[in-house]
Amino acid sequence: MDLLEYQAKELFREIGIPVLPSQQIDHPRDLKRLKIPYPVVLKSQVPTGGRGKAGGIRFVENTIDAIAAARAIFNLPILGRYPQVLLAESRYDAEKEFFLAVILDYALGRPVLLGSSQGGIHVEAVIEHMQRVVVEQEFSPFYARRLALKMGLHGNLIESVSGILQKMYQLFVQKDLDLVEINPLAISSTGEVMALDGKITANDNALGRHSELATLVSTSADGNNNQQRVKSQLTELNWTDTEGNIGILCNGTCLAATTLDLIYQAKGKPASCLIVDGYASWDLQSVSSPVQQLQSALQQITEAKDIKVVLVNILSSAAASQEVAEVIANYLLSKVEKTPVLSAADQAERLTGVTSPSHREQSSGIGTLHRQSASVTEFPQFVIRVVGGEIDSTKERLAAIPVHWMDNLDKAVAKTISIAKSAVK
Amino acid sequence: MNLTPDSKVLVQGITQPLASYHAARMKAYGTNLVAGVSAGQGGQELHGIPVFDLVEEARHQRGPFDATIIFVESYWVLDAALEAIEAGIPQIILVTGGIPPLDMVRLLRKAQITETLIVGPSSSGIIVPGKVLLGTQESNFYSPGSIGLISRAGTLTYEVALALTQAELGQSIGVNLGTDAIVGSSFHQWLRVLATDENTQAIVLVDQTGGGSEEETAQYIAKAIDKPVVAYVAGCHTPVDKQVGNASAIIAAQLSGPVTNASTAQHKVAAFKQAKVPVAERPSQIPDLVRKALKK
Repeated sequence: MDLLEYQAKELFREIGIPVLPSQQIDHPRDLKRLKIPYPVVLKSQVPTGGRGKAGGIRFVENTIDAIAAARAIFNLPILGRYPQVLLAESRYDAEKEFFLAVILDYALGRPVLLGSSQGGIHVEAVIEHMQRVVVEQEFSPFYARRLALKMGLHGNLIESVSGILQKMYQLFVQKDLDLVEINPLAISSTGEVMALDGKITANDNALGRHSELATLVSTSADGNNNQQRVKSQLTELNWTDTEGNIGILCNGTCLAATTLDLIYQAKGKPASCLIVDGYASWDLQSVSSPVQQLQSALQQITEAKDIKVVLVNILSSAAASQEVAEVIANYLLSKVEKTPVLSAADQAERLTGVTSPSHREQSSGIGTLHRQSASVTEFPQFVIRVVGGEIDSTKERLAAIPVHWMDNLDKAVAKTISIAKSAVK
Repeated sequence: MNLTPDSKVLVQGITQPLASYHAARMKAYGTNLVAGVSAGQGGQELHGIPVFDLVEEARHQRGPFDATIIFVESYWVLDAALEAIEAGIPQIILVTGGIPPLDMVRLLRKAQITETLIVGPSSSGIIVPGKVLLGTQESNFYSPGSIGLISRAGTLTYEVALALTQAELGQSIGVNLGTDAIVGSSFHQWLRVLATDENTQAIVLVDQTGGGSEEETAQYIAKAIDKPVVAYVAGCHTPVDKQVGNASAIIAAQLSGPVTNASTAQHKVAAFKQAKVPVAERPSQIPDLVRKALKK
């Protein structure tokens, strides 16, 4: 979760990292009550980079200019995001600008200090001069001094810059952050340091023990972030091209990724891929609710417009397979029963379908369902891959509905593809 | 690794429903589950397993332990693991997921010094088919044999175990490294363990998109592993979460503008292939590749 600049600076101020006097602007008219002297800088508060180049940062000399500039910035989307807040800040004359960051390196499993003697908006220069120190053991200020020296700093700057790094690290640990970045850290002609821009990414897993951060975000009026935070248990696999007619439903992200790969390898086109909790124990329902998850996933996927076939791939214990089969059967049957257009004749057809398996698949089952669903929504066919479990009686119950049971993944994928292709014709 | 049916095992957080449920299953599988810990619940018995308030208390009466399985809530995992290390438990399995990464950093620094083996977080644990089950793995997909299975994936692991079992390639061990962004033991560490394990003839690695130590893993296999190794990587069509990976790369990407998602699954496949590790295109292809590799 990314904090906005003014929120990051609030945390900088608390921990003792020098920041300029500033004021939060919620509306252009707030500038009439500006407490900091002109000239000031107005900055769009959006959680994306590239504000300066996009025109989200303006220098103003007086109230009239400031209000006009503020109006313009409030109406300027940056990578599709409009600011809810601007930050008005004093101007600062920097002699030098540095880049500093403390970031968690997931590959190393250690925090890393980064620093560049060429800070600011010239990205190539920043990256070219980037230096790195891995905080292998418990942090101690020498790690910060090591970075300062690698950055080529001399004299008093070693102490002042490493002092900032220490505070950044302190903040990083105290608030469970993924990233603390200052760019640029300005150095004045007298050697004073000042954080002109800041960026903080909090770790979502740790938000639960940092209510102060959670409150910050909920008041930042950033819809997208809020959505991410209250993520429902049902996750969706994301990929780029979702213009297909196959729905996938798996327990576990990686199993879903494999299933998606297999569909693509067989030249199928998936449209949606939903995941129910892979670690949930199906026969221990007090702990989690895989049944509810599966029910809502079924609903979501059958309501999706273009999906013609749904591949369910759920791997768990035999008991779970039984449970999955039951849940799907109940869901599908409830859909069929609720459909008002189902006539008595159709009902009879369905019943005969149960007793004559060969007849059932080609005509009555599919036919019935298609006819009734035509007036509601096009109902997708189901390929269900579960392994083990006593599911024969469930299969019987669903005999009149176009459901294909498979226990082999490759075969289930092949069946899914053939249904998807025939739907296209 | 030192796991036999005699290994003495502890469960921390045993009175939580999930832990209690799996404790019963582990015991039924033959695991020598001798004690549980749950602060404030000491003195009772659960499935015939005595429960203690503290790990050191459990250790005095039932220990020393060879391994512990931790089920406590995510913000308490670091504390539970440090308590286990303090009690000298050499192998720790973290079933709980979603642990704050900086807690993992602290734990891993400590574990490195004490040479404690950490598996997880978000791990379904370790199974030695037919003998021992440590964690929440579904044992019905496994069968005893000589293939070592190391996985960084969740339920996909079962798909691979099932494919091997159906092809009559039983497994010497199934290790789930966990799916959190930062995990304790790596492919590298387990490859080294299985390279000298006399019950293991061939090794299967199951990975997914994300993370990023594949080059190191691949080179290590090429250099140091004499046993046949086969890999499978899921997620060639799913982009990786931009946060996971190398720090400098993340910063560089963020500075240069919006991060474009690129899957690392293809990258992993390429790294394995370059190290001449056969890579399966689908789970069902793994048994064939293992057989072929064993014949060489």
